[in-house]
Amino acid sequence: MRRILSQARKELTQLMRDRLALALALVLPLILLFLLSTAIALTVHNLPLVIQDLDDSAASRRLADAFRASISFYVVSWPTDQSPEKALTNNTARGVLIIPRNFGRDLNRGANTQVQLLVDATDSNTARIVQGYATEITGGFNQDSGSMAGSGMVTAQMRLWFNPGRDSIKFASPGIFVMGISMFPALLAALAMAKEGEQKTILQVYVSSISAHEFLLGKILAFMVIAGCEWLLGMFALLTVFGQHIAGDPTPLIVGSVLYFFCVSSFGVMVGARIPNQAAAIQAVALGGFLLVFLLSGLIFPIENIPPGLRWVSNIVWGRYYIEVVRDALLQGGGWPAVWFSVLMIAVLGGVFYTLAWLGARRMQVSA
Amino acid sequence: MNGQTQRFTSRLRALIRKEFHQIRRDKRLAVSLTIPPTLQILLFGFALDATVSNLRLGVIDWSHTPESRELISSFTESKSFRPGGTYTSVTDLENAINRGKLDAGLVVPYEFGRDLRRGHPVDVQVLLNAVNANTATIAQGYAGALIQAYNQELAREGIHPLVRMVGGTPPTRRGIVTTVTAFLYNPGLVNAWFIVTGTFGVLLILNSSLVASTAMIKERERGTVEQLLMTPANTTEIVIAKIIPLFLLLMVVVFLAIGVMRVFFSVPVRGNMLLVILGAALCVLSGIGIGTFLATFTKSAQQAQLSAFFINPPLATLSGSMTPVEAMPSWLQPITWLNPIRHFGIITRAVMMKGSGIDALWWNFLALIGFTLLLLSLSVWRFRKQLG
Repeated sequence: MRRILSQARKELTQLMRDRLALALALVLPLILLFLLSTAIALTVHNLPLVIQDLDDSAASRRLADAFRASISFYVVSWPTDQSPEKALTNNTARGVLIIPRNFGRDLNRGANTQVQLLVDATDSNTARIVQGYATEITGGFNQDSGSMAGSGMVTAQMRLWFNPGRDSIKFASPGIFVMGISMFPALLAALAMAKEGEQKTILQVYVSSISAHEFLLGKILAFMVIAGCEWLLGMFALLTVFGQHIAGDPTPLIVGSVLYFFCVSSFGVMVGARIPNQAAAIQAVALGGFLLVFLLSGLIFPIENIPPGLRWVSNIVWGRYYIEVVRDALLQGGGWPAVWFSVLMIAVLGGVFYTLAWLGARRMQVSA
Repeated sequence: MNGQTQRFTSRLRALIRKEFHQIRRDKRLAVSLTIPPTLQILLFGFALDATVSNLRLGVIDWSHTPESRELISSFTESKSFRPGGTYTSVTDLENAINRGKLDAGLVVPYEFGRDLRRGHPVDVQVLLNAVNANTATIAQGYAGALIQAYNQELAREGIHPLVRMVGGTPPTRRGIVTTVTAFLYNPGLVNAWFIVTGTFGVLLILNSSLVASTAMIKERERGTVEQLLMTPANTTEIVIAKIIPLFLLLMVVVFLAIGVMRVFFSVPVRGNMLLVILGAALCVLSGIGIGTFLATFTKSAQQAQLSAFFINPPLATLSGSMTPVEAMPSWLQPITWLNPIRHFGIITRAVMMKGSGIDALWWNFLALIGFTLLLLSLSVWRFRKQLG
């Protein structure tokens, strides 16, 4: 135990000397949290729209005004003699609304008319949203002009639960928080371990009386301390700036977090032990810590949309389980019955990483 | 003068040859330049999908009439919603949404069928779980469209009995406007096209800055910079000789990425691909600029890599390459124009999917050239100052 502590102290002293690395490791997760949770969103507002009114009647101007008045669109002017598609190819607008000739006359006669909406579908998600907005606006236009009266009509009253303002920060910020904790302790741990191999100082460790387990646990403990500091800073920001609050029993969060610190630090040490080259180790951590956690954990894009061939991978992505623990603690408050499995999985994955790190460390001696 | 340029080029050639030798010996560099970018593009393209479909819809039908059943089936038969069970009380439905068993709920009131037959307007309630804001927005659009279609159906059916009853007199009724949406450039709404074309720029900048900063710092860490300085080559030559092989190597990544996009995701090429390659070359150069610049500020490889982590995530997220810029807060949107990836993303998408030409994109090219020149000259200046 004493050896583990002194190994951890040696590791922390080494890290303290590298002031830039330390500052980045502690401040960077916070900056990411602020930046990404405001910037990562898919719900678009205020999209540029071109309206080509070929009718120029009272009715067509009323429809155009309905579009102009919505917060979803802003109308950009476009010369009528130019092809409307050109507004899309040179990125002036995301959509073009074309009101046909005789639009007003047909409406007054009681005939049904169509307006055409050209949508730039290079971004398919935004295209769907544009279509939805436009349908709602024309629906409102129909209702206002009383065209449905007499035949009876159905209106939908939409209720948006849990997040009526459709604010994506609430949903995204716990995820980004998890991403920061998954990435930086692992990165530093991998660098420290790879350096040991690169500079052959691992040989000094082998000739000393410290055992492999003590050596690894000491290293892991040091990076768990770093992870803990990041966690405290991030949690403070979540609770104050982002207006989150802990819902229900905090013990699953605390137990899960400590296990998760062990899990990510072990992952980093494992990578460093297996790849004794700092640059390559960084890429491996970036691939594991950033890409997998970012992509396959349901952070922004739902897990259900991942093709089944890839979806099983998300079962072994450690960040996914921790996101469940954090989201539950901050948003739903289900407590132990809801998240016991996730906490267990974090522990299991941590154990696997530790074993692999141990095996890797034994091999390092041979190759060094 | 002539002799001078000759000496310059021969020295440069020798230095470049030395760099190539070093790169060739570094097997790991070749691996790390080919496998991660391919994996990144494949993973992003396959896994990042924001499509909203098959939302679990819980239903409460208090009306029990043909009309209500028709409305419900128009919801559940669409691709957007799938039946998630019927409920008898609002509390049960609420609980199911709370526990995350349902994504949406539809409540049809008791008087629904009766009022419709009498020609009175009726309200139905649609409940959406809005924790994920994007899903909620799109689901709202779907529900609105379904109800609009149902109304049109009603109007079409309802008009005949009315005409028959009144006996010939046309009903005083205004026509209904419908929007017919045409999805241009990506009619199948393949989300991967958007993600993959965006990821392209991100991985170019990411990989070139990483590779460049490692290459620049290696010489310094090993203390071989002094040896280089003792050669007749001057600092500008040393930097240029370092950049050219890296640039050529990274251009291989460009072609690799384009190949993956075409083969695995069949992204169309509707414009002139040379424009994309030119943009990619500029992107690689500015990435090298960023990497070199970072390398001059840091003492160790570890520091350089960590600072790359500091620069890259904001560059990637504030580029509009994976999420639309229009979804960002309005104060943040203008800042994205300072990001080379933003311009390159616009170029790639416009050329490949929309078939735009230089006339529509000259501004983005100009900006990219500006960034490249600025970043490269800044890094050369810093590098020289440091060596001097």
